[in-house]
Amino acid sequence: MSEKRDETALANAEAAKTKILEYCRRKGALAVGVADLEAINLVAPPGHRPGDILPNVRSVISIGVGGQTQGAWSVPSKAFAYFGSTEGRGYSVAYGCSFFIENAFRARSVYCPPDMDPDGGARIPLQSLKLHAELAGIGARSLAGDILLHPEFGYMYYASVFTELWLPPDQPLETNPCPAPSCVDMHRKTGQTPCMTFCPVQCLSGDIDENGQQAEMRYEMSKCAEMSQQYEAMPQMLGEAIGARDAEARERKLLDPDNALLWYKMSVGSGGLLAQCFECMRVCPIATRAPLADPIRRANAADAKAQG
Amino acid sequence: MPRGLTFAQIGITESMIETWADTIWNMSNNVQVRRGDPIRKHEFDRIDAERSDLGMSDGQIAAVLGLTRDQVMAIRSLTEARRFNRRSYFELYELGRGRRFNPARHVPLEARGGFRPDALALRGALKFDARQVTRFIDNGWWTNDTLPGWLSKRAQEMPDRVAVSSPAGDLRYAELRACAERFAEGLHALGIGRGDVVAVQLPNVAEFLVTYLAIARIGAVMSTVHMPYRAAEIGSLLSHARARAFVCLSRTKDYEPAVAALALDPRPPALEYVIALGEPVSGARAFSDVSAGGGTLPVELAPAPADPFLLLFTSGTSASPKAVPLTSQATLGNARMGGAEHCLTADDIVLSAAPLTHLFGLYSFHLATSVGAANLLLPVFAPSDFAKSIATSRPTVLFAGPAHFAAMLKTGLLDSTDLSSVRLVICSGSACPPELARAVAAKLPNGKFSQLWGMTETQAGLYTRPGDSIDLAAVSAGRPSPGTEVRITDPDGSPLPAGEEGELQVRGSLMFPGYYDNDKANAQAFAEDGWFRSGDLALLDPEGNVRITGRIKDVINRGGVKYNPRDIEDLLDAHPQVLQAAIVPVPDPVLGERACCVIVVRGDSAPTLDALCAWLLERGIARTKLPERLEVVAEMPLTPTRKIIKGRLLEAIARN
Repeated sequence: MSEKRDETALANAEAAKTKILEYCRRKGALAVGVADLEAINLVAPPGHRPGDILPNVRSVISIGVGGQTQGAWSVPSKAFAYFGSTEGRGYSVAYGCSFFIENAFRARSVYCPPDMDPDGGARIPLQSLKLHAELAGIGARSLAGDILLHPEFGYMYYASVFTELWLPPDQPLETNPCPAPSCVDMHRKTGQTPCMTFCPVQCLSGDIDENGQQAEMRYEMSKCAEMSQQYEAMPQMLGEAIGARDAEARERKLLDPDNALLWYKMSVGSGGLLAQCFECMRVCPIATRAPLADPIRRANAADAKAQG
Repeated sequence: MPRGLTFAQIGITESMIETWADTIWNMSNNVQVRRGDPIRKHEFDRIDAERSDLGMSDGQIAAVLGLTRDQVMAIRSLTEARRFNRRSYFELYELGRGRRFNPARHVPLEARGGFRPDALALRGALKFDARQVTRFIDNGWWTNDTLPGWLSKRAQEMPDRVAVSSPAGDLRYAELRACAERFAEGLHALGIGRGDVVAVQLPNVAEFLVTYLAIARIGAVMSTVHMPYRAAEIGSLLSHARARAFVCLSRTKDYEPAVAALALDPRPPALEYVIALGEPVSGARAFSDVSAGGGTLPVELAPAPADPFLLLFTSGTSASPKAVPLTSQATLGNARMGGAEHCLTADDIVLSAAPLTHLFGLYSFHLATSVGAANLLLPVFAPSDFAKSIATSRPTVLFAGPAHFAAMLKTGLLDSTDLSSVRLVICSGSACPPELARAVAAKLPNGKFSQLWGMTETQAGLYTRPGDSIDLAAVSAGRPSPGTEVRITDPDGSPLPAGEEGELQVRGSLMFPGYYDNDKANAQAFAEDGWFRSGDLALLDPEGNVRITGRIKDVINRGGVKYNPRDIEDLLDAHPQVLQAAIVPVPDPVLGERACCVIVVRGDSAPTLDALCAWLLERGIARTKLPERLEVVAEMPLTPTRKIIKGRLLEAIARN
């Protein structure tokens, strides 16, 4: 009887998982998976585990939505800094998913806040969405500062849902698409992959082993952050202005062209204060040229499939 | 502070920060190292063993260091704030459109060169009337013209078209650009940058143009030194220009400019490099070494159209030289519009008798480059070489001064040279005697003769157009160039009506902004309302054509009766025994001044003063204007554009 109950529970869980995954895909997710909670807890430090947000959490669902359009990869990089627009779409799917689970399965659910930990500083997240996605099998860590890449969808934005509903977990990707064969070749010739070469602040370095697999990834986050994270500029600007030697210098500190841009962004409530430069992704063959990396490629693939 | 706590509450001191800042920075997430792929492979033991390399949370760091979590958080936040360079993202501005970051080409912002104090001072000397500038921009007279911009366009559009043709061979536009780029790299490697002055004393050879284009390519400023100048003049000009480099020949037939420049005493204060073209000179850089290039040019060296790119000296090498700074905008705008007015096309072959060290020579080059025509170079003017060049290379446009044509006429080469390829002659440097103009025009079966009036300060201000008749072009400097306004004024500065002689004054988009570092000259050069006083006497006809009638300072004041000797000079030039004539005032104890006639004889015998006076009387000249003294000279002292230097004639007469 007990085994039969377990089988029934598993079958119900599988069915629930199927419905949840279908919901997410219908709402725009490219890839969805369930991460192994036990594995998350073994990797995430205390204070950053799903249970620190939802105490009786039993499952972590990871959702991946499309990264950039093909056009976005070709815009000038100063404009590209403002193209982080699709991440919001991932959060919408996750938000809806949490409502869907509570409605359909009567299990408490919450969309995982994607923000920084107010108790941990400007670059410490509450939860690692990257860890969830990796363990859910919808992305693998790349040499480009651990940005996740998917062999089919390339570069995606991720969101997570925590739920008290138990769902059978997925396994991580069997193989890591990074480094691509062309990157291995380049590294063997020059000691760098494209992402390392073209990083404007040279925050990336690393090694590839004899099998063409990642041996070591090195990433200097502070350098990377300097490229775009202007929120840290605001207090610095004010600090410089306070310490200015005279009124003219103070005015210059506050209103030089760069600072004036920050004031403008604040005054119009621009959300473009937190973008990365993503030069590493722009030159990544997986991020930009994976079979389903952008809407054009996905539409072409759909057409090809329809034509048999 | 964490959760709003103060330093005192957390127990933080500055010494604590100093002690722990580096350690906490290195242990936090700022530097992350991952070996293998342990998370994907569920290698949890390995993750635990190498967790610190992936970056640690504040609590984990606190446990390792023996601090509280709040202390770690406070020190980490403060350290990040102090170390954060918030302007790094400026690097992004130069990326995109296929451009990617390349560490080999990258120069950090803080390491990028800027204007040196001397360069800034020169830049600061460019002060224009703001309202006028708005007009220049609105009318398209000032645009984004730069020489490197033009050259790149030509090299892209017509890479295989001949840009420079000289006795040493041809350079096509793509080759010229490549040579200029390499020389620019060489100059940059020497530390020459934006706004730095590089003086050039070279004949009309391809290397002059390569040097000029390279200087312009890095946003530096070329100052020219005329070929006849020697150490005294070179030293004076290089000092006034604050030149950082001097490009010259190793040796001329009778002089060693590089050696002389290296030995200048006192040494020009800013001079660092002498670059010698020719045989090696100890202490000088070899032109060939600099032109080998090397390295790459950083993006910030791109020239700006509004920056100075030329610093030319008008005349004189006295203690107070008159240096004319010129911007690309004004100078190249004048040439760009001139190209259309002169009807130049890419099919033209332009030959200039004027030296490239002079604005007239540079103007011909600017015109040709503006349309993609070929520049036919004559290293040094000699009538026979000029004639040979015309005969063999078949130029379509000639730039020359009256004295060049007079020399051709004297040697008989004007008659014997086939000028059938020439469709346009642009004559400038001084007013052309009408008879000479007609003689040249008569030799052009397929071409037109035109006159151009200009000064270093004004560039091409007036010219007749190719459609004008020789009757006009022989006596007139023509009409204002696009963007130029002229007026004729009396000695008080009041405008005069058409037909009355007065001083020619100019303003417009072609104008220089004022002499560099010479307030006295500036005070004299500009009228109160901003018009430039040319110092030339002129008449305006009802159609707007301007006839240059002389120089104000050449006017003879004979006992209070003032007259302009230009008419007399023109009549004397037409005398069969006179090749060239000039009237200069000589001091007289009774009348103040009397007119002295100085001539170069045509043929073997010199005319007498009486014979010349009779010639003039027959042609209606008043007795009061007749010359009262005659001096015969072998040759006239001439400017680089072969204009008679009357001051030197006066000195010679005084010595006699």
